[in-house]
Amino acid sequence: MKFTARHPRTNVNVSPTHPLKEFAILAGGLLAIAIAVYLALGLAVDLIVPHISMGLEKKLAGAFLDRFAKNDRPDQTTQALQSLVDRLQDQCTRLPYPITIHVQESDAVNAAALPGGHMVVFSGLLAQMRSENELAFVLAHELGHYAHRDHLRGLGRALVLMAASTVLLGADNGVSDMIGQGMVLTELSFSRKQETRADEFALKTLYCHYGHVAGAAAFFSELPENSDPGRIGHYFASHPETHRRIRRLEALTRDRQYPVGELTQLPTALVVADPNR
Amino acid sequence: MFDLIVFLSLLALGYAAGTWAEKRHYRSIADREMAMLNLPAITMKGADVPTHQIRSAQMVYGNAVISVDYFKRLLASLRNIFGGHVKSYESLIDRARREALLRMKAQAGNATMIVNVRIETSAIGKQSKRKNIGCLEAVAYGTALVVEE
Repeated sequence: MKFTARHPRTNVNVSPTHPLKEFAILAGGLLAIAIAVYLALGLAVDLIVPHISMGLEKKLAGAFLDRFAKNDRPDQTTQALQSLVDRLQDQCTRLPYPITIHVQESDAVNAAALPGGHMVVFSGLLAQMRSENELAFVLAHELGHYAHRDHLRGLGRALVLMAASTVLLGADNGVSDMIGQGMVLTELSFSRKQETRADEFALKTLYCHYGHVAGAAAFFSELPENSDPGRIGHYFASHPETHRRIRRLEALTRDRQYPVGELTQLPTALVVADPNR
Repeated sequence: MFDLIVFLSLLALGYAAGTWAEKRHYRSIADREMAMLNLPAITMKGADVPTHQIRSAQMVYGNAVISVDYFKRLLASLRNIFGGHVKSYESLIDRARREALLRMKAQAGNATMIVNVRIETSAIGKQSKRKNIGCLEAVAYGTALVVEE
């Protein structure tokens, strides 16, 4: 038989699949799995929060700190707030966090509990304060969020994403910073149950510190009359059902027979010259 | 963000350059295979040729090293997760083997045939400092016979 050279026209050794199609299938599959895990973790955030160590929380806090670094001036206001919180901490709450106060210029009548014990007080809130008790109640309320670690729960899925990127990529990475910067503080939302628990915690702290609970509900009951809705909008957006909370505080005061005493004056550093008063 | 831009640029570059190089290489391979079609390279140890007709017998070899591009490597690492045929590497192996055969044939010059052809492959720089420099080497060798008519 004579040998005839022929070129095999087809190539059986290379799959005909287009590489982009394969890439789309594989990357799409991976992305779908990642999204599914992310969504599931978001739902499971309540389960994860108790397992986040203080060390990891401190690392997470790094993502938030940049934006306060420039606003942070340890002036008299900040120092006065810090000493008030320190007193509450030393005598009553004793949280395992060192709480650091940051004051931010903003009309928002609010305060926020950030990871790593960084508490942000907006100047709009300070302008509403009439007594130290009232202020102590608000600060103790935020301490309550720390005590129950609600501040981590409030971050929701962003927390899961940040925790994942911190664990995988290290503390100072672009992804965590991006997520941290992208979050709006006033969007931190807490559930009704978490707010109620924090209120209870604050009431207990107030009683422990002053020996009575005067000023606790004052903040809530004053707001609707003397503030225009625009300025307090934020506070009510994230702290709904004010009346229910006042009633709850009053009921608690009655049940536990907390006395109501004299209000303490605000430290001079915290008295804001406010034309609305 | 910067990392992401770098990553996507590398991916696009890898795909564009890799595809272009592969198409060009395959065209060149096909052309040369047609040109050298009349020089048979067979895996049998000998040919049915009377010994006195063989004027010379000489070892010939050719090798080729083909690199993975960024896109193919990503595709392969995705395959590493899910399993299955690593299709993106198939063309690399195919190109390396055929190129090695063609170079072997080129070395054989005016030989009548190449017998006892073997092809071997090896990976180069597989685990150098944890960075996978994916290179594939194929070497083809055989005995080139010049047969008197």
